[in-house]
Amino acid sequence: MIGASLPRPDAVGKVTGATAYPGDLVRAGMAHLAVVYAGRPHARIRHIDTSAARALPGVLAVLTAADVPFNRFGLIDADAPVLCDDVVRYVGDRVALVVADDPASARAATALVRVDYEDLPLVGDVHAALHPDAPLLHPHRPGNIVHRLQIRRGDPDRGFAEADIVLSETFRTSWQEHAFLQPEAGVAWVDDDGRIVVETAGQWLHEDRRQIAAMLRLPEDRVVVRYAAIGGAFGGREDLGVQHLLALAAWVCRRHVALVWRRDESMATRHKRHPFTIETRWGARRDGTITAVAARLLADGGAYASTSQEVVKIATLFATGCYEVANVALEGLALYTNNVPSGAFRGFGSPQAQFASESMVTRLARALGIDPVEMRRRNLYREGSIEPSGEPLPPGVSVRACLDAVVDELARQPQSAPPAGWRRGWGVACGIKNVGYSFGYPEQATATVELSGADVIERAVVRTGVADVGQGSHLAMRQIAAAALGLALGQVHLISDDSAATPDAGSASASRLTLVAGRAVHDAALAALARWHDEERPACATVQFRPRATTPLAAADGAGRPNYCYGYTAQALEVDVDPATGACRVVTIISAHDVGRAINRQQVEGQIEGALAQALGYALMEEFQMRDGQVRTAGFSTYLLPTALDMAPRIIPLILEHADDQGPFGARGMSEMPLVPFAPALAAAIHDATGAWLSRQPMTPERVRAAVRRATAGEEQP
Amino acid sequence: MSTITVTVNGKAHTSTVEPRTLLVHYLREHLNLTGTHIGCDTSQCGACVVHVDGKSIKACTVLAVQVDGASVTTIEGLAPAGELHPLQEGFWECHGLQCGYCTPGMIMAAADLLQQNPNPSDDEVRHGLEGNLCRCTGYHNIVRAVQYAAAKMRGDEVTA
Ligand code: FES
Ligand code: FES
Repeated sequence: MIGASLPRPDAVGKVTGATAYPGDLVRAGMAHLAVVYAGRPHARIRHIDTSAARALPGVLAVLTAADVPFNRFGLIDADAPVLCDDVVRYVGDRVALVVADDPASARAATALVRVDYEDLPLVGDVHAALHPDAPLLHPHRPGNIVHRLQIRRGDPDRGFAEADIVLSETFRTSWQEHAFLQPEAGVAWVDDDGRIVVETAGQWLHEDRRQIAAMLRLPEDRVVVRYAAIGGAFGGREDLGVQHLLALAAWVCRRHVALVWRRDESMATRHKRHPFTIETRWGARRDGTITAVAARLLADGGAYASTSQEVVKIATLFATGCYEVANVALEGLALYTNNVPSGAFRGFGSPQAQFASESMVTRLARALGIDPVEMRRRNLYREGSIEPSGEPLPPGVSVRACLDAVVDELARQPQSAPPAGWRRGWGVACGIKNVGYSFGYPEQATATVELSGADVIERAVVRTGVADVGQGSHLAMRQIAAAALGLALGQVHLISDDSAATPDAGSASASRLTLVAGRAVHDAALAALARWHDEERPACATVQFRPRATTPLAAADGAGRPNYCYGYTAQALEVDVDPATGACRVVTIISAHDVGRAINRQQVEGQIEGALAQALGYALMEEFQMRDGQVRTAGFSTYLLPTALDMAPRIIPLILEHADDQGPFGARGMSEMPLVPFAPALAAAIHDATGAWLSRQPMTPERVRAAVRRATAGEEQP
Repeated sequence: MSTITVTVNGKAHTSTVEPRTLLVHYLREHLNLTGTHIGCDTSQCGACVVHVDGKSIKACTVLAVQVDGASVTTIEGLAPAGELHPLQEGFWECHGLQCGYCTPGMIMAAADLLQQNPNPSDDEVRHGLEGNLCRCTGYHNIVRAVQYAAAKMRGDEVTA
């Protein structure tokens, strides 16, 4: 049962078209919503005139800020208005909501909502945000700072003085769009018990419920959130998208309402992966020992807080990658700008930070004439290593084993030549990413298991609010329960998509569900089994699992215990580069992951391959662009995603199983890890092939060609 | 308003549609065939692929009035009721899907591909599916799923 590649039960509906996604829930007779967006990055609203829109035939209502009982929402800091009242802070801000009999009337009416704006000065990027005279996006946040932290360990000055070599570089990364394939949609109504019901897609039923209840000033048990089939998420459904708009309209208008977003609405308004500017300096001794790291990380948080605070903490913690460094001086800053908000995206700050750190390790190795693998082995985290925050790592440090597995596999690779005129290179990188919530954020999952039958257990019903965003969490939960109970999979039923019928399992994020919710399911199953043996019929148990506690980082030096579990990875990429055009083709990917224990091997491999495609897109081609606060890539015609032809034809996933001490059957999370080392491994491969260093993501043909030219001209150091 | 007669999944439908109605909206909203998905509005993603007179097309790029008199097959009609087409079986067996949103379009595009080329190389499969985006799987298992179906349709032995 555990480790078996059981095929997914939900696949039948998905291959026949029977599965209902949120956009499939629209029924005749529902009222339709359309959103009036700001369309400008920073402006004061002088006046909103909805009379012409309301007069349009078919229009039922036009809602504005005055209609929202509590007009703020947000995952951590409720700083975003549901509908803007005084100021708009980015183009995708919502100003009004039209409710109409049909979608066409609703859309037509949005053009008739007249908003009188007074434009305000633009805060176009992090540098503008930091300017002493910069306008403040949120007046109570001095300096436009969402969050600032520093982490200090040892004596950085002495560490750099002891170094035989010191290298500095500035790395830049862009926004990345989640591009889950199903645009946001949903339906909502007020049921016969006076509860507001929202059916949609998200990543955390109970958090959606909390924010909707707060907005409507209702107790949480008056709000029901249900998830239909979820068409991908990747962190992109963590912030509220359409959920609260549906709830508001249904509540105010007392109608069944529906909202289906177009792709451009999804892309121009939802949060993205943070762009970072990372200035970093690394020192090492001739023998390869890294003696000091300094880094300053600036993240563009966009108009609202979203999860910026946590992302910048994670990025700063990983500014030294997965290497033990005695002397560190790290500063992280997330800033408000008039850009689209940045927030959660698979990897959550780690890919950006380790693009810089892994690149620096390779560059140091090259400068010192040491093999990059050897350089890593000398400095990698091992059991008991101290993190920059000053405490030992949680047990189960396996990055060295991941690297060794990759190197062994590499030695087995057949030699072949690149196409004529192209050059071939190999690049290696490692990675680390936390599993679960960090920095003292309350971490728990709760599950209820009920066993029924006559003489023997015939049926188990598991209740836990885990979102299956496509990763297969539902099957994993059932496999865990079936294994714990000794039942066949078909005897285990899972109830998971209704906030009123399930206990809170936390979010489908931070690679945490298998470990945290899986453990809750496992423990509840065993507790129910014990009651079954005590002759309880039916036997029922509810268990809350809480992993080892973490702590916030101290303000002065970042001291603390940031995480309870890490996932480790190493990768090698074989890349062909055309020096004339700068085009890169990834030929082979070797990707090693310590997953603790694979609950479903096929699904683990699927997560690796899928994350690798997103990593390849991120490293090579995906570049969400904004200029002067306007989105320039709001569709798939301008924002390029990897196709089947772009993806590497050879993928070799290596699955290591070093049991985690807290996960069910030893499992630990893994879904984000493949994204972490990819970009620096690609940069290393390009260097191996051409001698050129890239320090900017994505590594587009123009950038690669320019870097190759510079390297050929001998400007590149080292 | 225009009146059209279309055979969809073997059944004739006479409907009144607005001239600007896209085929994908006609299928989803008039006929309630929601297995044909919408993933973009710019004809890039391929989530909406159906067959018109046996050839695959993106249903967001044609008007309903353009298929007047034609025969349309959607994912719901690819296999007889209660049965799975070898491609549907392949996507299930080979874990060729995660969220599944791209899957109907992938399968319909692959069905056309296999009609034209019953014995494709992996590279030919990738070329054939270039117009279909998947954000979840990394395409590896999609290629395997298509090869599973190709082998099965040729009568070869199949392995998942
Ligand atoms: S919806 Fe037709 S191609 Fe995207
Ligand atoms: S399975 Fe989600 S887009 Fe392909």
